[in-house]
Amino acid sequence: MDNSIEQEEKTLTEKESLLLITDMINKARNSYHDNGIAAIMWGCVITFCSLVMFAQLQFNFKLPFSITWLTLVAIIPQIFLTIKEKKERKAKMHEDVAMDYIWLGFGICIFLLSHVTGEIFENLNEAAGSYKTATGEKFPFLFNEYVFPLFLILYGLPTFITGGMCKFRPMFWGGIFCWVCSIISVYTHVKIDLLLTAAAATVAWLIPGLILKQDYVRAKRELKEQHV
Amino acid sequence: MFKDLDPILHSQLRLAVISLLISVKEAEFTFLKEKTGATAGNLSVQIQKLKDAGYIDVVKKFKDNYPLTTCRITLDGVNAFGKYVESLKSYLGN
Repeated sequence: MDNSIEQEEKTLTEKESLLLITDMINKARNSYHDNGIAAIMWGCVITFCSLVMFAQLQFNFKLPFSITWLTLVAIIPQIFLTIKEKKERKAKMHEDVAMDYIWLGFGICIFLLSHVTGEIFENLNEAAGSYKTATGEKFPFLFNEYVFPLFLILYGLPTFITGGMCKFRPMFWGGIFCWVCSIISVYTHVKIDLLLTAAAATVAWLIPGLILKQDYVRAKRELKEQHV
Repeated sequence: MFKDLDPILHSQLRLAVISLLISVKEAEFTFLKEKTGATAGNLSVQIQKLKDAGYIDVVKKFKDNYPLTTCRITLDGVNAFGKYVESLKSYLGN
């Protein structure tokens, strides 16, 4: 198909019309390539946080601050990336609005879950203290063993939906991997849970992000070659 | 031969514009220009014809002090495009 359409009223044959429609639909569909930076960033942040928390438990040391604060810091570049991306895009896809709400809802759910689990922790710690005083034995229920499965369930949902909607298999399977890790982590020690969380973030976000980045660079190069 | 085909859509540039707009929620003028390879003048004329037919909505505003034209297909446009494709299919079938 000719790249430029200059003849305003050129008579089209049936085949030419269909070819033009197919060509334009393909052009529109291939017009946007996610550069994968957000996925890479969140993949790195969650993997790093999980590994640091694992190292703290494994090697018995404590940082003067909670490493999970890094996730809050990462919101700043995320906002910057989102604004920049929205400004640069010349066409809005049908699924864009749904995606925005899904990931915004995910972010809100993560912070709500962090707050709720934090509150449960505090109350359980009090209960555990009273239990130990009364019975002289350790509290039989360790809530922290069940926190990571909850987060992993949540990690899987938007990842799975995004992968499915965008027909991007690495993210689709990444979402399923999060859920598999969630099931496993119910039955494993919290240290293993942290390693599973790191693995889930790597498989669900970091690796798909790197694949997206590669595709983006390739698409940009091809576009450049077309214009030469 | 093509007497049943919608004359508004049965033009190379207008069909290209509608085909692009059916695939996206909305698109800027520069996007349509880039994908069709048409000149700004020609594209403006064809967009106006599609707008007059009620097939697309055109919103003009300013972004960073530059004029920004955004186009979006209407329900009438979607229906007309569907009919056009069906007619094409029947012609090809014959």
